[in-house]
Amino acid sequence: MLQEAQSVVSQISGADIATAAKYLAAGFVMGIGAIGSAIGEGNVAAHALDGMARQPEMEGALMRTMIVGQAITESTGIYSLLVAIVLLFVV
Amino acid sequence: MFEQLAEMLAHLGGKRIVVLSIGEFSMRFDLVATITTWAVMLVLVLLALYLRRGLRQEIEEKPNRIQATLDLLIDLLRKQLTSNFASERLAQEMFPFISTLFLYVLLCNWVSMIPYVESPTADANVTLGLALLVLVMSHVLAIRMKGGKKYIHGFIEPYPFMLPLNIMGELAKPISHGFRLFGNVFAGSVLIAVVTAKFAPVIVPPALNLFFSLLMGGIQAFVFAMLAVAYINVAVES
Repeated sequence: MLQEAQSVVSQISGADIATAAKYLAAGFVMGIGAIGSAIGEGNVAAHALDGMARQPEMEGALMRTMIVGQAITESTGIYSLLVAIVLLFVV
Repeated sequence: MFEQLAEMLAHLGGKRIVVLSIGEFSMRFDLVATITTWAVMLVLVLLALYLRRGLRQEIEEKPNRIQATLDLLIDLLRKQLTSNFASERLAQEMFPFISTLFLYVLLCNWVSMIPYVESPTADANVTLGLALLVLVMSHVLAIRMKGGKKYIHGFIEPYPFMLPLNIMGELAKPISHGFRLFGNVFAGSVLIAVVTAKFAPVIVPPALNLFFSLLMGGIQAFVFAMLAVAYINVAVES
């Protein structure tokens, strides 16, 4: 049993480990990077909704500002996507 | 499975590069993106020329159908896109630029709904080029509105040692502006490709395409135009 395991381990090359680490890292980068922007965008939407409920006549302006604010909040998520792309295709 | 997926993703960004060399200079063009962007421009220009024929300069009692529809659409665009400008004059002046940018990005995003056509905004070069256009536009406007002396003085505010920071901030704007559009569109196309090839090739992809191309494409085009407005505002104001 132990010898079998050892022979399997000896067949794994450094390049295999690097490839596996690449995919793992890309997945982690995307997953963890998405948390922040998701929470941030939810916050923006929640507060915009608060404002709309309080002043329904401001809905148009609030909607515009909300979408732009969410787009800016999203940039951290986009950066993590870029890092994931670089990890997958460039490194 | 991972290798298959990686191969598929590599094909997704498959480029046909054409190298044009004039003497020592050589320029590299992505053939697919170039043709698609020029097709989009052609469609926009032809549509504009076609719609222009129905328009009348003078105000009529009963406008024709094209006139009424276009009045409505242009009013909507004007209200949504330029109401965030600092001054009314700037809004009047910049409306053609911003609305053209919006319509161009919108059509570039929507073009991926045609089978076998990839949207050109899924190519970072296209979006970064558009972002550079906005950067140059904002600085030219700033110089024109504030004058050269005040414009240069804006870089050493509030303190002279902030100069490198200000320059870095200006250079970071087009990068984040361009990559935001690219990231959104590219992520959508990756998701559609993965779902189509691996999980559900029948009913789900059209729905996903509808969501990512139509809805997200519209929102991202709007966001791109609004951020251009914000950058121009900041450059002209401060």
